[in-house]
Amino acid sequence: MGETMKRRIIGFLGLALSASLIASACGSDSSSRGRNAVSTDTFASTDTLAIPGTDSGTPTTGGTIHILSQLEQVTHLDPQRNYTGSDLAFAGSTMQRTLVSYAFAPGSDGSQLVADLATDIGTPTEGGKVWSFTLRDGATYEDGSAVTCADIAYGTSRVFATDIIVDGPTYAISYLDIPQDADGNSKYPGPYTAKADQQALFDKAVACSEDGKTITFTLSRVVADFNYTVTLLAFSPVPKAKDTGEKYDMTPVSSGPYKIESYEPGKSLVLVRNENWSKASDPIRNAYADSFVYEFALDPAVIDERLIADAGDDQYAVGDGGLQPENLQTVFTDDRFKDRRQDDYDPYVSFTAFNVKTVSCVEVRRAVYLGLDREALRTAGGGPYTGDFADGYIKPALADDYAPSKLPEGLNTDGTPNVEAAKASLEEAKTKCPDVYAKATVEGLKFFHPDTPIWQKLVSIWIESLKAAGIVIKPTAVEPSKYYPTVQNEETDYDISRGTWGPDWPNASTMIPELFLTTGGFNLTRNGDDPAYKQFETDTKAALDELDRKAQGKKWQALNQFLVDQLWSIPGTFTKAQDLWGSKVGNAYRWSSTGSFLFGELYVKQ
Amino acid sequence: MSAKVDTPLFYSPLSYLRIALTTFIARRLLFALVLLAAVSLFTYLLFALLPTDPAALTCGKNCKPELIEANRVRLGYDKPIYEQYVQFVKGIFAGRTYGTGDVAFTCPAPSLGYSFNQHECVSTLIGKTFPVTAFLSLGAFILWMLLGVGTGTLAALHRGKWQDRLTSVVTSIGVSLPTFYVGLLVLFSVVIWLQWLPFPHYASPTDNLHDFLTAMILPWITLAVLSAASYTRITRNGVLEAMNEDFVRFGVAKGLKNRTVIRKYVLRAALIPIVTIAGLDFAALLGGAIVTESVFSLPGMGRLAIRSVTDSDLPVLVGTTLVAAVFIVMANTIVDIIYGILDPRVRLK
Amino acid sequence: MSTTESAVGELAEYVLIESKSPGRLAWERFRRDRVAVTASFVVLFFVGIALFAPLVCKALGINPLTLDRKALNDFGLPNGPFGAMSRKHLLGVEPGTGRDILARLIYGARISLLVGFVSTLLTTVIGVVLGIVAGYRRGKIDAIISRFTDLTLAFPSLLLIIALTRPFTQRLESLGVPEGNPARLTYIVLVLSLFGWVYVARIVRGQTLALREREFVEAARASGAGHWHMVFKELLPNIWAPIIVIVSLSLPGYVAVESTLSFLGVGLLPPDASWGVMLGDSVRYYRADPAYLFVPGVALIVLVLAFNVMGDGIRDALDPKSDRQQLG
Repeated sequence: MGETMKRRIIGFLGLALSASLIASACGSDSSSRGRNAVSTDTFASTDTLAIPGTDSGTPTTGGTIHILSQLEQVTHLDPQRNYTGSDLAFAGSTMQRTLVSYAFAPGSDGSQLVADLATDIGTPTEGGKVWSFTLRDGATYEDGSAVTCADIAYGTSRVFATDIIVDGPTYAISYLDIPQDADGNSKYPGPYTAKADQQALFDKAVACSEDGKTITFTLSRVVADFNYTVTLLAFSPVPKAKDTGEKYDMTPVSSGPYKIESYEPGKSLVLVRNENWSKASDPIRNAYADSFVYEFALDPAVIDERLIADAGDDQYAVGDGGLQPENLQTVFTDDRFKDRRQDDYDPYVSFTAFNVKTVSCVEVRRAVYLGLDREALRTAGGGPYTGDFADGYIKPALADDYAPSKLPEGLNTDGTPNVEAAKASLEEAKTKCPDVYAKATVEGLKFFHPDTPIWQKLVSIWIESLKAAGIVIKPTAVEPSKYYPTVQNEETDYDISRGTWGPDWPNASTMIPELFLTTGGFNLTRNGDDPAYKQFETDTKAALDELDRKAQGKKWQALNQFLVDQLWSIPGTFTKAQDLWGSKVGNAYRWSSTGSFLFGELYVKQ
Repeated sequence: MSAKVDTPLFYSPLSYLRIALTTFIARRLLFALVLLAAVSLFTYLLFALLPTDPAALTCGKNCKPELIEANRVRLGYDKPIYEQYVQFVKGIFAGRTYGTGDVAFTCPAPSLGYSFNQHECVSTLIGKTFPVTAFLSLGAFILWMLLGVGTGTLAALHRGKWQDRLTSVVTSIGVSLPTFYVGLLVLFSVVIWLQWLPFPHYASPTDNLHDFLTAMILPWITLAVLSAASYTRITRNGVLEAMNEDFVRFGVAKGLKNRTVIRKYVLRAALIPIVTIAGLDFAALLGGAIVTESVFSLPGMGRLAIRSVTDSDLPVLVGTTLVAAVFIVMANTIVDIIYGILDPRVRLK
Repeated sequence: MSTTESAVGELAEYVLIESKSPGRLAWERFRRDRVAVTASFVVLFFVGIALFAPLVCKALGINPLTLDRKALNDFGLPNGPFGAMSRKHLLGVEPGTGRDILARLIYGARISLLVGFVSTLLTTVIGVVLGIVAGYRRGKIDAIISRFTDLTLAFPSLLLIIALTRPFTQRLESLGVPEGNPARLTYIVLVLSLFGWVYVARIVRGQTLALREREFVEAARASGAGHWHMVFKELLPNIWAPIIVIVSLSLPGYVAVESTLSFLGVGLLPPDASWGVMLGDSVRYYRADPAYLFVPGVALIVLVLAFNVMGDGIRDALDPKSDRQQLG
């Protein structure tokens, strides 16, 4: 999930951090792998790996599942604004249906596309430029009215109202065949303010057949995996009559098995059964529990303690943010927890980005990479549980696109610093780029980090470990919720920042261009002026346009190696996350497409 | 407190005193209003000068400059600050409507603005969260006053003995350890280790008294124990001071019973500084027990306020600051009035 | 409570001891209070350690910044019982980094005591001066000071402190205060003093007003004593007691506020330590590493206890009327 992780991090940084947020190491991503076979070898290192969903017994109906959260509210329940891993899993499995979904299953099965509101997983024509989906009969909203093709088109059109529908994915804007003005903005301003001629532009791109049985998306270019794109809730239906604009975030209309009973941000969200949902019309949702209570604003330490204690209603509880690193030892060294814990890769890769404009010298960047005590960083976040040292930006689980890369000479594979190699690289920089050398060794490199307890330690490790190599780090603490807006702002003068990113669907096309093209959604490197950039841009565009999936994968592999050589950014970890859940919760497994529980499928064990 | 309290008027015959008190109270109330106006202006300006652009925060990263501008106009942030302030004050009395057409929305009086983060009028948000804070503050306040004054008197009466030393140790712990530290430890030990209480789920007392009490008891105790510490020390010293006063010695000399002396004179005299601080502390709590509410997950005004800081939710920040100020000013005014009434010399004369 | 006789007896002693100089008397009384003297040594010990932190740490062979991966296990937690206390790390190591807790405690004392002392000093000086002036002069000056006090009090201070940390720290940095912690600490101290003095001023003013009406003050005034004499000889000596109580309460109070700010995310920046940062960090490890939880907490309690006992002792010693034979 590209933006997904970003959003997820912003939420979490509010008070403390989940294990998955800590910068470090290298592994793979059990998550977003669609058709890609997941190589099980890459997971073999984890002996504690739960085999989720296999020991759960027969699911039973009834009871209440509790979800414990550190957040003040669900980041967004408005489907068009929802772009956060756990929120997508939550809303998608309980209230909001899409044309196509990932299968509700553990492991790599959860990466298969299945039909939901549609009866098929999409039919491409014109080589993938036009996509059509046949709608299923019998799907209804919570008021009993039918889900129509027009509602799906209307929902999709809301994405264009970028003044009101904010924070959501914008693939609809970039893919749909709607003309743009000279500034590159879509000529369609969204349903709230569109004049008739503007609305006609959208209606041409997203059309319903006469009988309302088929919806057709016309794209501006070939998108071979557009059916993966429509799994995002941004393509889910919204009944126009019930749309309340900004406030729809609080009162979304349910098309799934549950509906909102009460929603008080800062306190709780209660879902109860939607009596108008029928299992017959929904091939994927099982809806075992009678209700869900999402409890907000809990201290993460309190959440862990409640799950560990497993008392009263907490036996029916799960967290939405993973275990805190300080509790991993307790949970993973005690057999008491062996049936209710998991340690697994999530879809994300963490990295440390340089501002290539100010740190324009690859020798200095390499010196930082070589001299950094990545082992200590990983240890601070929970050791091997943080994840594996990354060798690039593509997790091995993206099997078509991953190939091991050749890391810089002298880099210790165990993550410990190689002070000699770092010093040697700095020595090269001294003659090659004396300005940057002086900045790194005297003036100091400005490191912008989120102001959270865990980062206070990580930054201390940065400072202390690079000191040995003669590199000076000057930390700047940024209010956690403003971290990404700050470092994404062109005017912020950092030398080093950090981020975490995951693919939106199983193709490195949602990783590499997003992270390193100047037009990418999450490029922190400011690499546009780098001499190597032109080459990178050309090659990336070629990879995007490559229609043969195998050949495209090869191109991503080459680009990944190119990025490791350029070091615009230092690969951190292929991250993992750990969960603990109540002893009476069934079906607790990580849904690979979002890296979080498939909340709606949880059930109460009798 | 005002200079008025100490003018000779106060020592005059009772009827005259009453008139003086009425005038005094009227003047104090008027002053309170002036003070609130000043506070609101100052708060508004202070936050308006912060380097965050409230309009930019109304839409996400895909926001185009023209959309930011549109929202700026919609929210009135395009106007000069003083005009914004006038609009804001007007909204308090007359309500306020933002934007026009389909996307317009109104916050009825007293409008303190509209929160884009939470899609709610600020006054609604405060109205929802304030009862929680009020219950929390009131319960804790009663407990800590009883505890503080009680142990303080005990310590003073047994000055230098073990009771005094023990109080000193306990209050040192109370004064020194921050609320979040003690709060979390109390929560962990009572709820999670000992399991004496279920995990607190706040409910309003009219909905579910049981949930309300189980959610409130720990925050009450934590706040009370920590706050009582200062009161214990202030009471102890106040009592010691008072016992040296001539009128107390006089009372003792007259042969009055110890208990009577303590109750009638000593405590009354010692209460003066306590009332001063207590009023302020109580008001400060009403303005939001930020840390306690965070630790115990209580959906109160303090958490609303701290969230507005992390979200840069300017309207909520201004609103909560102002409401907090109203309480402090009110408490202040009441304290001023009580202050004079409690003066023991007035009584003895 | 005493009987009539003992009150009379005390009165006699009161008259008797008036013949020695007050300062000397106070010192003699203080010296006799063994508990208070011990407490003073404890306070001095902490202050000394804070002042000479680098020397102390060098002598002990420890450093607050050095990472020690070997002291941690694979979970990043201390690799041994009691937070990995050992001869090398007497109080164990910090989880996550393996930094020496004793060294961090010693260096942390510097910052915590600095914040505490400077804030207390500023608030007390400003509060006492304005409080006495207001109470003594009354009239217009009192009105102005009192209104200003009311205005300051009307703001919810903790909320404002948090909301304004970042912009104001940046402002300080642009004014030439060194970047990072110096700017943050300056901000914290300034803003704590800005909001703190009013409490002192209010109490002092109240005491001064009450004193004004007392016979001995009126006598002094009637005999034509000057303002200086009135303030320094008549008023100040008689309001020391509440001032000392305020000081001994507010110093640890400020240390606690500093830690609360760290807890709320606007405290000290890494890699430096303060007791507040340590407290905030250690709470998260209450299960995984309880030893870490107790170290900063116990240190703080001991310091504050020492401070309070010393404050009581000084207060008692300075009070000309106080003695062992109190009422009751």
